[in-house]
Amino acid sequence: MSMNLDSKIPSGDLSEKWSSHKGSIKLVNPANKRKHTVLVVGSGLAGASAAASLAELGYNVKCFCIQDSPRRAHSIAAQGGINSAKNYQNDGDSVYRLFYDTIKGGDFRSREANVYRLAELSSNIIDQCAAQGVPFAREYSGELANRSFGGAQVSRTFYARGQTGQQLLLGAYQALMKMVDAGKIEMYSRREMLDLVLVDGKARGIICRNLVTGELERYAGDSVLLATGGYGRVFFLSTNAFNSNSTAIWRAHKRGALFANPCFTQIHPTCIPVSGDHQSKLTLMSESLRNDGRVWAPKKKGEGLKNPNQISDDERDYFLERKYPSFGNLVPRDVASRNSKEVCDEGRGVGSSGYAVYLDFRDAIQRDGLQTIKEKYGNLFEMYEKITNENPYQTPMRMYPAIHYTMGGLWVDYNLMSNIPGLHVLGEANFSDHGANRLGASALMQGLCDGYFVIPYTLGHYIASTSLPKVDTQHPAFAEAENSVKTETQKLLTIGKNGKRTVLEIYRELGHLMWNHVGMARNEKGLKGVIQSIQTLREEFWSGVKILGDANELNKNLELAGRVADFLELGDLMAVDALNRTESCGGHFREESQTPDGEAKRDDENFCYVAAWEYAGKNQPEKLNKEPLQFESIHLSQRSYK
Amino acid sequence: MPKIKLNLEIWRQKNAKSTGAFEPYQLSDIDDDISFLEMLDLLNEKLIKEGKEPIEFDSDCREGICGSCGVIINGQAHGPLQATTTCQLYMRYFNDGDTIVVEPWRAKAFPVIRDLVVDRNAFDRIISSGGYISTKSGPHPDANTHLIPKPVADKAMDDATCIGCGACVAACPNASASLFTSAKISHLGHMPQGQPERSRRVFRMVRQMDLEGFGNCTNIGECRAACPKEISLDTIAQMRRDYLSALKE
Amino acid sequence: MSHPQAKSITTVFKKVIIALSGLGLVGFVVVHLLGNLTLLRSDGSAFNAYAAKLEGLGGLLAVAEVGLLFVFLTHIGSTLTTKKRNLSARPVAYRQWKSKGGDTPSNSSSRNMAISGSLILIFLILHIWQFRFGPGMSQGYVATQGQEQIRDLYRLVVETLKNPLMAAFYSLVMVLLGLHLRHGIWSALQSLGLTRPRTLKPLRLAGAVIGVVLGVGFLMIPAWIYFGVSN
Repeated sequence: MSMNLDSKIPSGDLSEKWSSHKGSIKLVNPANKRKHTVLVVGSGLAGASAAASLAELGYNVKCFCIQDSPRRAHSIAAQGGINSAKNYQNDGDSVYRLFYDTIKGGDFRSREANVYRLAELSSNIIDQCAAQGVPFAREYSGELANRSFGGAQVSRTFYARGQTGQQLLLGAYQALMKMVDAGKIEMYSRREMLDLVLVDGKARGIICRNLVTGELERYAGDSVLLATGGYGRVFFLSTNAFNSNSTAIWRAHKRGALFANPCFTQIHPTCIPVSGDHQSKLTLMSESLRNDGRVWAPKKKGEGLKNPNQISDDERDYFLERKYPSFGNLVPRDVASRNSKEVCDEGRGVGSSGYAVYLDFRDAIQRDGLQTIKEKYGNLFEMYEKITNENPYQTPMRMYPAIHYTMGGLWVDYNLMSNIPGLHVLGEANFSDHGANRLGASALMQGLCDGYFVIPYTLGHYIASTSLPKVDTQHPAFAEAENSVKTETQKLLTIGKNGKRTVLEIYRELGHLMWNHVGMARNEKGLKGVIQSIQTLREEFWSGVKILGDANELNKNLELAGRVADFLELGDLMAVDALNRTESCGGHFREESQTPDGEAKRDDENFCYVAAWEYAGKNQPEKLNKEPLQFESIHLSQRSYK
Repeated sequence: MPKIKLNLEIWRQKNAKSTGAFEPYQLSDIDDDISFLEMLDLLNEKLIKEGKEPIEFDSDCREGICGSCGVIINGQAHGPLQATTTCQLYMRYFNDGDTIVVEPWRAKAFPVIRDLVVDRNAFDRIISSGGYISTKSGPHPDANTHLIPKPVADKAMDDATCIGCGACVAACPNASASLFTSAKISHLGHMPQGQPERSRRVFRMVRQMDLEGFGNCTNIGECRAACPKEISLDTIAQMRRDYLSALKE
Repeated sequence: MSHPQAKSITTVFKKVIIALSGLGLVGFVVVHLLGNLTLLRSDGSAFNAYAAKLEGLGGLLAVAEVGLLFVFLTHIGSTLTTKKRNLSARPVAYRQWKSKGGDTPSNSSSRNMAISGSLILIFLILHIWQFRFGPGMSQGYVATQGQEQIRDLYRLVVETLKNPLMAAFYSLVMVLLGLHLRHGIWSALQSLGLTRPRTLKPLRLAGAVIGVVLGVGFLMIPAWIYFGVSN
């Protein structure tokens, strides 16, 4: 029997939902807040902003991160910017338009109410960050500057050079550290959450590995907030940080939290192409570059190694401008990525691998001058040059799509709570706002919106309306969870002693499988095949992975092994979800479902729902639950950027 | 693709309590377009296959922004290039047959945890002591209420780009954390929102910096040379200026 | 507003003390050099007269000397405690350390202030021993100025610096003084927060030039006397 998924969307007019909800939900009085402990796992934009905001309200917060400092969470690497419907440019922006662009960009696979709230609060986020001293880019007038991003025809992206994520994260991190100083937050760095503890069906604690000593530690609280980011590292090569992982959400999933739309992954069109077998990650070049850079490939096949400056304009195919005249180079990410892939598959790709297209600044430099381009993108150009040893001011950048973001994640209701009472999920770790494709500069917006402005209200409602008898770490549920973690670790180390293949070898192989079959284009045959291959690889892992060292010490290889074990299960679920969803939508492109001109073709009749998967036990097929998506304000249409 | 061979001498230390030592390693067939950390990955793969425990080192984003990575390479923090983190250092800058000595950051305030991994939480405590603007989450005046001249915003941004990697401390002959501390003081001190707490901030942050056991800045400037984000020494002057004017209050 | 934290002497405050005392000493060095330039008049009468005039200040000189001693002790004491802190800040030394250079003040001067400072201190003790408390009129070092008999300090200077070992030692220390000031003057301004983004580099250059000029100025004296003055 399928679970009844209540999204708890408030009734009323779309634009009134959040304010009426805020007005009607329960509050916790200040004296009582002091009696409650909240566990926040993750210290990125969502985690740090939530921890700081809740601590200011008076809750006792314990915050955990795997890095040595909360300031290093992967939000730090976001480059381009953050959207907000401020309409400072007077170019026709509004809350409704940001809402509409986001829904359309997500190919009509997100919840209207959540997205509207996001657009509505977007303006507060900028004000909040400015108040924290985030050094946003300014005009000479002293006012905030904007740039354009993909999937929108207005200029609504706020930025701090090419380091917007860094600056926003440092703002949130500083707010968090202030509350550490105030004694309201206990910060636990170098801790990895390895299990969720449920007491009477409610999330009441976590088990962490202390990554320095290897000890397993128990923490109890009244609610658990997961803000642990996305799972793009299942592809091994991605723009995500080396340690980004799915372990926290996956272990919560195995404790009963539903995993929604796992196959919705975003492939970012402009990344530095793969160069060799020993590469450990891919580097993104901000979407903001498409403001001024023009994407092209040679018209003729086999010109991939020719000096691009010697290919005349007549011989170049500016394929995005040609196919999408109204959005040009600023089409959404999924569209840009797919087109680059298509061009390369035709044999018109460039570079030694043939899997790249050009992103060319020649015309922008001629038009605006070298200095202007340097000011806008200097740090990105330098980064490109460091990696490739080529000067992008003189020769066009070579770019290829890479895994960047995962729209899927743990299922949450309008209050950001999963189907497990007390387990809240924020930021990229949840599935909520971006549908089947996220627009550029919207991830930062969502992370901060969840942390600064949504959870402070909805968590209070949960605490005020739920009976939460005192639970401490002596409760048998903690012992059970700790033992299960211990058993798994021991199992890994026992196998590891006599194993043959390194964790990294198996991990790379999983990455190849995922990229080839659950990547930019998917089809039934490939998906069915990859499910088999992952199964085989998983068996190989659990019988022959090589891991050295002990559990009771700093052991990064053991940490990685645990994460890869989870990826081997999650990868399978992603393929299952992609197989189930026979339509194409956003970043999920099923080759069987395309329009005559090769665009993603949705099937609203059969797939206008959130696929929320339920764990059914080891090696059991996961159960599908459906949350139908209801569109009250928007008319579903075939997405067009032409 | 050119391939190189290296002799490595790497600091190995089991844990914080044990005494460490340098171990020699040889690695060949290194593509010159991989990064220094990918070279260490390669070495670790080799070690694991030989049944030897891999070398522990911190790294995360591998694109020069998270500040996790950082080792001393032949006596230089983050290696020979300016404005570069270890993860962005590519093997094309080394020659076939080179001997490379790899050491962890060394400072009393950055104790070694294992091998090349050090504890940099002292930096968090410095920020915690005052490196913020005390504002609550909630409604605030419109972001354009405070106009900030572009040059001021640009300068604040220059100082705010610090990634907290600790190379300044590692490179400083005195193991001073002045560049790190002053970068935050200068960033927030340039923002109109940062004015109300300006004196309190500088007092508390300087005091915390001292309590952590960092050395005193003697204006040598190695921090600036090692800083991957090229934070300017004028931030240190700014910190002292702020400190003196706060004393007058 | 009261800041309880401000009461303890922080590293930043200590650098202010070092800078102020250092700048005070730079002032002394300038005056001392100007006075010493009288040595360049070969008969020595100008120098002896200058020395006698200083002696004649009596109580005032004592006050100045105590003041100067205080500035010296402050400078030495605060730099010693700073050095102690800095040594303990890195208990395990690097096996290898190499400057990353670049456009920074890092050079042999800035990295070796303690060494140059210590050698200058050793010199200073010797120098005061020799000239402040060394042989005077009762030991026969007598010159005449008009009707008066005064201490023939000039003779003592010449005798000292004609000794090749002493001349070499004095010269070495003057080089060290130049190197110390090459970093010291700018460093003091930086420690006092007087440099600005735009003046950072010009002041660094100016400080180095002044430092080197003072060093060279002092260096002229042993050279002049050793090579230039006949017995």
